[in-house]
Amino acid sequence: MILSAKHLSKTYIDSDQTIKVLIDASLDVERGDLICITGKSGCGKSTMLHIMGLLDAPDSGELHIGGKVVHSNSAEAPAIRNRDLGFVFQFHYLIEDLSALENVALPMLIAGKSEAQAKARAKQLLAVLGLAERINRYPNQLSGGEQQRVSLARALANEPKLVLADEPTGNLDPAHSNEVWEMIRSLNRDLNQAFVVVTHDVEAAQKANKSFELIDGKLLRIDA
Amino acid sequence: MERLEYFFLKRYLKAPKRNLFRFSFVFMVLGIMLSVGILSAGLHLFQGYESTLKRLLLDSFAHIGISSSTGSLLSEEQTALILALATEKDDVVSCVPMLNFQLMAQSGDKIRAAGLKAYPEDNYQSYAPYVIAGKPNIRESEVIVGHYLLQELGLALGDSINLNYPRLDQITPLGIPNAQFNYRIAGVYRSGYYENDRSIVISSIADARELMMNTGGYSKIEIHLQDPEQAALRSRDLVSVLGYDYVAIPWNYYAESLLRLVAMEKWLIFIVFSFLVLIAGINVISTVSTIIIDQKTEIAVLKTLGANTRSIRRMLIFRVGLVGILAVLAGQVFGALLSWLVEKQTFYQLKGDVYFIDTLGAQITLPNLAIIFLVASLLVFVCILIPLRQIERLQIIEIIRNKH
Ligand SMILES: Nc1ncnc2c1ncn2[C@@H]1O[C@H](COP(=O)(O)OP(=O)(O)OP(=O)(O)O)[C@@H](O)[C@H]1O
Ligand SMILES: [Mg+2]
Repeated sequence: MILSAKHLSKTYIDSDQTIKVLIDASLDVERGDLICITGKSGCGKSTMLHIMGLLDAPDSGELHIGGKVVHSNSAEAPAIRNRDLGFVFQFHYLIEDLSALENVALPMLIAGKSEAQAKARAKQLLAVLGLAERINRYPNQLSGGEQQRVSLARALANEPKLVLADEPTGNLDPAHSNEVWEMIRSLNRDLNQAFVVVTHDVEAAQKANKSFELIDGKLLRIDA
Repeated sequence: MERLEYFFLKRYLKAPKRNLFRFSFVFMVLGIMLSVGILSAGLHLFQGYESTLKRLLLDSFAHIGISSSTGSLLSEEQTALILALATEKDDVVSCVPMLNFQLMAQSGDKIRAAGLKAYPEDNYQSYAPYVIAGKPNIRESEVIVGHYLLQELGLALGDSINLNYPRLDQITPLGIPNAQFNYRIAGVYRSGYYENDRSIVISSIADARELMMNTGGYSKIEIHLQDPEQAALRSRDLVSVLGYDYVAIPWNYYAESLLRLVAMEKWLIFIVFSFLVLIAGINVISTVSTIIIDQKTEIAVLKTLGANTRSIRRMLIFRVGLVGILAVLAGQVFGALLSWLVEKQTFYQLKGDVYFIDTLGAQITLPNLAIIFLVASLLVFVCILIPLRQIERLQIIEIIRNKH
């Protein structure tokens, strides 16, 4: 077991109403899993992913990573995010001032690797993702699909146990979207890399080995 | 330093245009430069004032003056004894017996009080540097007169001047016996020490004796040391050997409290001007806040990738600190330029009767430069730290959620 979310609940209190976003949501992620979460807009998919990624805290429930209970505001949270988790968002969130290579090297520099080491591995990763020719480009010189593949490479930099992706293809046209999905599937197949992907793309979700739908705050398995 | 900070620091230094010389820094840099410039100029000028004053005081008063404790003149034997004793140690540069007393200088109907100093022939080294016209080595019936005294009497080099010595101790029913003689002005004395420049008259010993109507003896013996700071110590030593018929007065006796006051004023100016840097620091605070807001997405991304707040803070400190330090250094150059300009300007002269000296000169010393640099950098640094708390308050999920 890589990550286990147990009985998560989260409620937002807006000025006049309370929104129960998550009610007793549980999810286990194992090695080699490719898990998709679908659901209507605003149902709480991102919230679920943020909690699993230690970016947000649940109102109740527990999160276990590597067998230990972890909290988003604990001192070790940044290190866990850096080492054990990788993030891909709908928007690429690459740093504009840094080249593709440097962006991918960033998590390794944060982990304390030397610049030379980090760049060597970043180069390898970008080559695996078919971007060998693009390593010195800046984010604004890349296509949307390329940008998302660079952020996928960045998410993989420290060989995380799990990559959390929030609508990674949400901004892409079908061709580029396919390109990114292909990458995710081949990484999952060839490297046994675990993924949790939030998506609107029901067709793509069907190719996952486990899929869930978030309905009214409850996380339901839909493929079994 | 961690790899991440080092990586970004290297980028700042490699591409300073992109990272450091940005518009958001302009007002911060200008503020620091101006305030540090004014602070520097203030300190350099005051330092110049202090050291000019000190040098002039040292030159105007002998380092040690030995005289009789009864107030009477020193006899030739006493003088010989003191000369022999004082010159025993080799840190004595010169040791000259002299006469000094108050008299009246007169030209036509203008009369001014003056202080006469008379030295044996060829003992002009101590005042020669300040003889700005004429010659320092005067002969009989020649005098050197202070610049402002000449001005007040309406006289010039080459004119003649009357000196009167009123013998107040010999009043008779006929009045005060009054010795009056006439001298040629052979030199003009101007040290910059106003008090002296408006009262000094230098003559030969023989002329002075004629004026005083006496035949021998000296008022005091003036000693100049290699290290004037030793004056107090050496004075005590000399008196302990000579005995209490004599008094030895070191220069500090007259000058110390004045110099202390000036030094205190200098640091007071420094503190007051440091507040300017603090005001400039407000710009620093707003610049750093702007950067944090501008780059909140980058900060959120770095945090998501696992960078801790401390290293993000450090990166900002390096970046703004680098600009700040460059601005402080530029301000110091500006300050040096400013004090040079003040020195060269001719619109404003110091009033000698208020400030003791009449010329403004800057002095740039290494310790002062270091102190300015440290204090200004520290203030800038503190102002960088203040807004950094905002980083902790940034809501990363909000930032990441809100980008379309
Ligand atoms: N800070 C907040 N305060 C109040 N309500 C919030 C806050 N953040 C999120 N919400 C609400 O929580 C709900 C779930 O949001 P979330 O972003 O998780 O949905 P989502 O499933 O990812 O939607 P989408 O598919 O549009 O990305 C939404 O209704 C949103 O309005
Ligand atoms: Mg979402």
